[in-house]
Order: sequence, then C-alpha cells, then structure tokens
Amino acid sequence: MNEEVNLIELARVEEISVELLEKYGWGDGLPIIAPTPERVDETLAETDLSPDEIVAVLAPRFGEASVRAIATNAVMAGCSPKLMPVLITAIRAMARKEINLMGVNATTHPTAPLAIVHGKIVKELGFNSERGAFGPGNRANATLGRAIRFILLHIAGANDGDASTQGQPSKYTYCVAENEDDSPWENYAQHLGVTAPSALTLFFGENPHNFHDMESEAPENILDKAASVMATLGCNNACISSAEFFICLCPEHAQTIAAAGWGRKEVQEYLYQKARRSAKELRQQFHLRVWQDWMEESPDEEFLPVTDSPENIAIVVVGGAGKHSCVIPSWGMTKSQTLPII
Amino acid sequence: MKIHSPEGNIAAESRGLATAPKDLNGVKLGILDNTKPNAGLFMKQATKALQEKYGVELVKVEEKNAALAAPEDLIQGLSKEVQIVLTGAAD
Repeated sequence: MNEEVNLIELARVEEISVELLEKYGWGDGLPIIAPTPERVDETLAETDLSPDEIVAVLAPRFGEASVRAIATNAVMAGCSPKLMPVLITAIRAMARKEINLMGVNATTHPTAPLAIVHGKIVKELGFNSERGAFGPGNRANATLGRAIRFILLHIAGANDGDASTQGQPSKYTYCVAENEDDSPWENYAQHLGVTAPSALTLFFGENPHNFHDMESEAPENILDKAASVMATLGCNNACISSAEFFICLCPEHAQTIAAAGWGRKEVQEYLYQKARRSAKELRQQFHLRVWQDWMEESPDEEFLPVTDSPENIAIVVVGGAGKHSCVIPSWGMTKSQTLPII
Repeated sequence: MKIHSPEGNIAAESRGLATAPKDLNGVKLGILDNTKPNAGLFMKQATKALQEKYGVELVKVEEKNAALAAPEDLIQGLSKEVQIVLTGAAD
C-alpha cells in the first residue's frame, strides 16, 4: 500500500468514511477525519521524531508503526496534534513483549487496550479524570483511545486478525486519566517508580465492572464488594493466576479507605485475601488452568486467590463525586506496561 | 483529495505456505496441540483417519499454550522429526 491514496471527487466527510471503510477496510464504522497531508503534517509538527522513524512493529500483521502512520491514524481518530507524544508512548507500550500483542489480537476474548494517563499532562492536554472519566464527552480521552484502536486495526492488522467472539464497546475507544487532585495517594505510575512528570499505562482487559457502596465507612465493606466482583468465575483471571486486575476507585471510596490509614499496599493485600474461591470449585469449573505450582498443589478445601500475588492488583483513582468504582479484569496472558511520556 | 494511508509498511518478509507432500503414504506426522478443549481429540481423530488411509506414522505430539506463539525450538524440533504437522485447532 502506498503512503498516499487518491480519493478524487469526495468532499464530505461522511462520503470519505464510507469510501475508506468499504474500499480499504479502514475505520471503525463511525465518521473519520480525512488524513490529508496538511493535517498529518500539522500533527507531525508536535513531535521531534522523524516521520519515517519506526516506533514499533505490531503483530500479527507486523506492520511498521512509523511516526507518519501514527500521525495519520491520530488525524483519522480526531486527535488534537498535541496528543502525539501520548499516542507514541501508548504504541511503544503496546509493542512490548509483555503485552503479547499477537495473542491479544488473535484471541476470541473481547479484550481491549485501556490507556490510563497519569501526571502533569492530564491537565495540560485536557484529559478527563473526574466525573464521567470513562466517557463520553471528552475529546482527549475519546480520540486517544480511538487512535490506539485505529492503529490496532490498520497497522497491527486487527481488522482481519481480531478474532473476538462478540467484541465489546471499549474496542471503539478506552482511555481514562487518573484523578490525582482527589486521590489520597501518589499516582499509580509514581507508585511503580516511574518518576517522570507524565506517564501512561496500557492494559488489555475487559470493560469496567461497576460496584457501588453508598454507605460504608469501613474500608473492608467497600472492598468486599470489589472482591466479590473480582471473584467471578466468568473472567479469565479465574483460570490464569498471573492475570492482573485494575481497580479504579472513585475519590470518595479512596478517601474513605485512606482515612482508616490504608495505603495501596493494604488495599492490595486485603483484596488478595478476600477475592477467593474454593480450589475444588475452580478445579471443577476449569480443566484448563495456568496456575502457580503452589495453587495446583493446594487441597480442594483451600480457598485460592483469583490472582497469584497482591501486586497483580493495580489501584488507580478515577472519577468524580459519587460512590461508584469499578473492577477491570484482564485478558489473562498479558502484563500491563507503564511508561514515561517524553 | 489526497490522503495518507494509515496502514504503514509490513516489516516481516512474506512467506507462502509450505509445499504439500505429493504422497502421504508412510510420512511421519506430528501434532501441535494448542490445548484448547477438543483440539487434541480432533487431531487424534484426524490422525487415526490418516493412519488408516495412508499409513502415516505418528512420531511426536507437542503441546503449547493457546495464548502464546509456539517457541522456536519446539518448531525446529518438530521440523527435524516429522514431515507434516497437524495444528491450528482452537475453541
């Protein structure tokens, strides 16, 4: 495919979207912005990298994510040019072997890439970390997630290679920002030792599973509800013990928990102890398991955690007023990546 | 109107399918089982049919995790011991 494609006599964006989808298989079915050379150049101006530099090679198509191709997808998704450094970081994260992109794109599971933006850049670029952070209604969140999906579709080849049985809405766009102003703790990237002013986490998981607690003042009561959601038999974490969970606590839940003197470590440890099911039940339900040896060796009457380490439980503060939080289970054979945005 | 392609070039060298053996009689067969439910059952039944019809010899059965690519040494090992491999079954 040449870098440039002629679309003659098409002026209206609706026509361009239909033409691109039907003729080339590009786009997600929603209207797109035509990636004209002028628009792509404007986006390229927001990075010091050469347009021809290959940021990553993405499986299963082994497509080269050049800076120009990334910018083209950013334009199509409706991104502000200033999102380029964030998008490039997301693509770098996506290409790391721990993500297992070949598996992500080939699985029948509905997994989608959740991008979580941390730090100074959240406000600088206008990401929404507060009310309705998972959307809709914010351009930065909506278009960054959509551009990541476009790059999966167009460069990684997920239009043919994504084998998801049902898909899921977060495959259109899945980006949120961490609410540091209302968090009682340091941001998640800092917690991991990423000290850059801004960072991005990429995690392949399910849609968010809501849990609410309108009344509790004890951390245990709030977190018992999270643990209940985590311990469902229906998610891949139940049979893949190395799989992570992302727990997005709303500020009010996080503040209530922190007021009792709990930090992330205490939350992780509590959820690890509470989110369990009996070994007998898990064995009856799953003949195919990817478990630690000590789990396989445990007696039937023991209650096993649905993830094999407290460190697999990531705690992030997201959202605005109210008492709704969520659990995001993993695809399974993948590990989230947190990188500085530079 | 001219626009940029969003696809990027392909980095990997394009490879065609291996040439199919002209004659299956007596060839050495391997199974690469991705361990998904019924994958092994399906391939064992297919092997049985091939044994009955062509007298193929099953010499190696390997398993791999369905979510990960087969390790290179596993593929190399199979390629040295067998002439055809049954694989590809999923859910």
